[in-house]
Amino acid sequence: MKRFLARWWGPCLLLLVWQVGVQASGVNQIVMPHPMAVLMDMASNPLVYGRAAAGTLLVAVPGLTAGLAMGGMLALLCQFSAVMEYLLTPLAMMLSSIPVVAIIPVLSRLFGYHMTTLIIIVAIICFLPAFVYMHAGLRSVPAGSLDVFSVFGAGARARLLLLRLPASVPSCMTALRIAAPTAILASLTAEYLMQTGGLGALFRITTAEFRSERAFGCSLVAMVLSVCCFFLALHAERAVTRRWR
Amino acid sequence: MKYVTHFRAAITAAVGFAVILVLWQVIGSAKLLGPTFPPLSSVIASLTVPYRRHLYIRAGLATLSTAAWGYGIGQAGGLAAALFGHLLPFSRAGLDRLASVIHAIPMIALGPLFMAVLSPVWAGTAIAAIGVFFVSYIAGCTAIESAAPTHRDLFQIFGASPLRRLWLLDVPSALPALVTGLRQAVPVAFLGTILGEWFGSAHGLGLLILSAMENFQIALLWSTVILCCGLSLIIFVLLGYVERIVGRHYR
Repeated sequence: MKRFLARWWGPCLLLLVWQVGVQASGVNQIVMPHPMAVLMDMASNPLVYGRAAAGTLLVAVPGLTAGLAMGGMLALLCQFSAVMEYLLTPLAMMLSSIPVVAIIPVLSRLFGYHMTTLIIIVAIICFLPAFVYMHAGLRSVPAGSLDVFSVFGAGARARLLLLRLPASVPSCMTALRIAAPTAILASLTAEYLMQTGGLGALFRITTAEFRSERAFGCSLVAMVLSVCCFFLALHAERAVTRRWR
Repeated sequence: MKYVTHFRAAITAAVGFAVILVLWQVIGSAKLLGPTFPPLSSVIASLTVPYRRHLYIRAGLATLSTAAWGYGIGQAGGLAAALFGHLLPFSRAGLDRLASVIHAIPMIALGPLFMAVLSPVWAGTAIAAIGVFFVSYIAGCTAIESAAPTHRDLFQIFGASPLRRLWLLDVPSALPALVTGLRQAVPVAFLGTILGEWFGSAHGLGLLILSAMENFQIALLWSTVILCCGLSLIIFVLLGYVERIVGRHYR
């Protein structure tokens, strides 16, 4: 219990502030629903929330997987081809300095309002951390190991399979951790903008209809989903890094 | 030798960038990706057309001021939290957990909360501030611990007061990491602002993006997104220079 409090006092404090704040200020239910009303709505309509959350996950997970795969493959390509490196490095540099989620409207117009567009958007947004971290990971070989490989006459393929790929595993996991909450954020935002189903769309519809307890419920489910994804990825990263070192 | 490598890296980046721009123009004018992928030239034309200048300036200034407020508040909060965790070590684990929970919360889910508690104008600022808070907290935690232990020992041996040590050692050695945090928070501030503006702000680049998207004004959509990204990019690059200067002086 003590350990739990030492780690989790922050979120507990936030919940307490919400509860006390709503009770003390006495604002209208439509403006700011009571935490209990939100929880009641969630408990009495589990199917509505469940379906919306499943819709969001069905976008986020394939998108995240595709983005990581794309980033990894392009990072590998950079190892082999200098031309790719010339093309991709400035692109990656630029992408890290702009608010990437702001390009979702452009992408949604470009690919049309479909489910696949949502996945493409999430993949493109998750691609960046994947590429940056895997690109760095493939280079983070232990000092002197490249010399050892060339002394023993290892070819490019052996160097890649036995040295660079294993060395990049921890960075892959870091990329996963960084990209997991981003994937949820991207799919929510895309759903919100395109209104194609999932939590984001439900959230936009209920906000427009002033059903604020459901809008807050959506927002709460989205937060829990995202935080769970983040901590799952964090634990996966720690487990892998521990075994790898 | 070092300058030669720098030069080559710059040339490489410039060539890569130019190739991307040429590809963009070719794909756009051949309509390979359909009518919603305009060529670079028509986006530039839409950006420079005189009757829109006023629109861009007004929206850009609104977004900039929202982002600046969020940036300032987030940086102040993040650094204060980092300092708090440094001074009171027992709160550190909880602060770390709080920061990562805040980071994992999708910014867009905070929209209705801030729309309810604050006015639409301040919702963008608040979302931006939350995003910046995390970046700044992480940078602050790294910065505060970046003085070399041997230097600390030296100050201890010569009997320097804690305040003197803070001013002469901890602050100067924290500067490089702090400036890195300042730079990395820039796109986050813009992102939060745009999301906030999508929620029902009456002005700003985010609103312009949303209405261009919904009214199928493709050239306006692209040019506004480019304007927004360009603003973020320019500030990011400028802070990159500051970072390099600070790094040269204090490392």
